[in-house]
Amino acid sequence: MLENYFPILVFLGVGIFIGLAPLALGRLLGPHKPDAEKNSPYECGFNAYEDARMPFDVRFYLVAILFIIFDLETAFLVPWAVIIHKMSWLAFFGMGVFLLLLLIGFIYEWKKGALEWE
Amino acid sequence: MITNILTQIIFYIFALGVIGSALMVVSAKNPVQGVLSLVLCFVAMAGIWILLHAEFLALILIVVYVGAVMTLFLFVVMTLNLDRSQLKRGLVSYLPFGLIIIIFIMIMLFYVVGPAHFGLAAYAAPTAQPANYSNVAALGTTLYSEEVYPFEIAGALLLVAMIAAITLAYRGRRNRKQVKIASQLAVCREDRIKLIGLPSEKKHEDTP
Repeated sequence: MLENYFPILVFLGVGIFIGLAPLALGRLLGPHKPDAEKNSPYECGFNAYEDARMPFDVRFYLVAILFIIFDLETAFLVPWAVIIHKMSWLAFFGMGVFLLLLLIGFIYEWKKGALEWE
Repeated sequence: MITNILTQIIFYIFALGVIGSALMVVSAKNPVQGVLSLVLCFVAMAGIWILLHAEFLALILIVVYVGAVMTLFLFVVMTLNLDRSQLKRGLVSYLPFGLIIIIFIMIMLFYVVGPAHFGLAAYAAPTAQPANYSNVAALGTTLYSEEVYPFEIAGALLLVAMIAAITLAYRGRRNRKQVKIASQLAVCREDRIKLIGLPSEKKHEDTP
């Protein structure tokens, strides 16, 4: 089974090499003389007004956590879809109840307006 | 034999990746760099899980944790509005307290998951599977026959998590200037107009 993953390992190795090689080449071959002005953020010639790290709206967090829940639901659906043709009705209705529970949550969040952005 | 040695080399590379990135998580000055190191840690851990023949779990680790949970962590770190100058302070004053906690946790970990509970005697290496072996099918067969009840509980937990997230993070609609057609159509005359029967004024007869 593990030999099926060998191409992915090769991909990982090539990807890491391609990612690191330009950085290493630039570091080794290019001149490297930093000073305070070169390292400061460039903002069209004048001094920077504020930090680039401004706080996010909490609604991003809500959307992300709702996405995780439905992502997990999809993760449960994958093995179910692979084996459902040789399983009993218990597996079918088990997934039915699971989907119903999440459907209740989905209707709740839709009616509550948590999916709307303005 | 050569495959075995190759597997061990790959394992040690991934294990080094896990440990190195985990050290970077706790030592990174910038919390965003810490979160990205945690992503690297998860990817390396997924490699180890594939070596342990848990391919579905490894792929789910990448899809769910790297793809979704770490995005959420990034949002949380960016929502917090951390003062970076304040992060650097207090390392020395917190150090003894942190060391005490670390020692306690290490003792507990040693007793619960110490070397006595590990090794090839306690957990045999997974047997080599044929190339067409499907870990997803094996997992699904168990999950949807014997483990249906815990699976439903997981569904209920997800529902609770959804409602809790909405309750905690949802702040309601904000000043949207949208015409609500239904409420406009539902208006009837009695809501808007109120007829009051005032007594009519009497005309003064002896006005000068």
